[in-house]
Amino acid sequence: MNTQFQNKSQVRLKGVKDGFWVTLDPKLPMAYLEEELTRLFNQLQHLALNSRVILDIGQSDGYEDIFDNLAVFLKNKFNVASVSVPKKENDHMEGQSFKLNMSSSAPQNLANTLVISGRIRSGQQITARRHLIILGDVNPGSEVIAGGDIIVMGSLSGTALAGQPDNENAIIMAINFKPTQIQIAGMIAVDPGKPSSSPLSIEYAHIEHGGISVENYIKSNPFGRLTWPLVR
Amino acid sequence: MEGKVIVITSGKGGVGKTTATASIGAALALEGKQVAVVDMDIGLRNLDVVMGLENRIVFNIVDAVKGKCKIKQAAIKDRRIDSLYLIPASQSDNKEVLTPDLMVKFCKELRKEFDYILLDCPAGIERGFENSVAPADEAIVICTPEVSSIRDADRVIGLLYAQSITPKLIVNRIIPEMIEKGDMLSHEDVVEVLSIELLGLVQMDTQVVISTNTGIPLVLQKDSVAAQAFRRIAQRIEGHEDISIEIPKTAKSFWKKLGLIIGIGN
Repeated sequence: MNTQFQNKSQVRLKGVKDGFWVTLDPKLPMAYLEEELTRLFNQLQHLALNSRVILDIGQSDGYEDIFDNLAVFLKNKFNVASVSVPKKENDHMEGQSFKLNMSSSAPQNLANTLVISGRIRSGQQITARRHLIILGDVNPGSEVIAGGDIIVMGSLSGTALAGQPDNENAIIMAINFKPTQIQIAGMIAVDPGKPSSSPLSIEYAHIEHGGISVENYIKSNPFGRLTWPLVR
Repeated sequence: MEGKVIVITSGKGGVGKTTATASIGAALALEGKQVAVVDMDIGLRNLDVVMGLENRIVFNIVDAVKGKCKIKQAAIKDRRIDSLYLIPASQSDNKEVLTPDLMVKFCKELRKEFDYILLDCPAGIERGFENSVAPADEAIVICTPEVSSIRDADRVIGLLYAQSITPKLIVNRIIPEMIEKGDMLSHEDVVEVLSIELLGLVQMDTQVVISTNTGIPLVLQKDSVAAQAFRRIAQRIEGHEDISIEIPKTAKSFWKKLGLIIGIGN
């Protein structure tokens, strides 16, 4: 009983806006912290995927290496999108407002997707907080930006930036895939200039072996191998 | 009946806006309409030169807008076509002297006097463009079959839609020989990207240079293919939508074509 009480007080997790707020004491042994984080994040299941984690280690300066180790640990083990330090004041406010929201209404699905229909023309820019679906064409000179995936049901000829700023799991997919430039997380790839194999081969770009690779979506079927339907 | 204000724009410079404005204006006037062509490129005027009227300029659009002269004083009658008038730009001012509001008011006056008011928009999307688009009822986007021109036309189309104007497209300077060889984008490629209504296709024509240099309206040259295209465009603007859009073709003879097909004589 005593240990459980200690656990609760020393590694805590709560939901804030679009991620999780983890509070812990960096003076505790690393193995113990990892064990506790594993227990908490296992409970979250797929919600931990691509989530933004704020790691609050209190006012204790000099524990930067512990922070870094835990950040790497969370990214590797649970595929969280980012681990950051709390901002002053503001984040606390956000946490509170979210809590109020949760108590007053039913929990909402935090994964939001922006669906746009029409043609994105040169000079126009569409930004989505998470996933972006375009029903139409993306013309040369235009820019589509998303925190998650970008899916174009038409021709993608402009610039597409997915997984901004650091979601390396994001993909860019188009029915007619001929972008000027694509970026996923921090990586950049440009059109090699060769004509695509077939006008009706749905292609997608993703990060693989530390680089962006473009493949036929139907042939490689990247999500067909998943054992269980997951929220992206 | 009030006149219609049509802005002729492209984003990119040098694609043939001024030539198109002069030609469409002349063609509409030949149909019997009262037409004013307005040079909106303040500081870099050249519609007057293309129309061969540079030596008759006394007042310009800035004078007319600011009330220093009457519209009738600023409008110069064409030498050959009676119902065609030019309102020239000022060469000494810059584009900041006019504002969209002033242009809306000015065009309201012009509508009373003319059936068609064609605004020759300057290149770019800054003040000159805003001034030209603000009073317009309709817009014609000129584009050449080049990627740079298409890119700029696309941007301009987006800006026009933002002003609730649905633009129509003219593809200019088509060279059928180059399209056949695959060295130039076809008008289908252009329309596929821009996806707006096509108003006409104009073939590359050396007569344009002659006409510009001599100041004789292009549409008066009977044997010019570009002139014929512009006359058809004017008829379509007039509402004769049954007039087909002719696709520029190479002037090859039947036997040469046959030779190409069976692979000899090339």
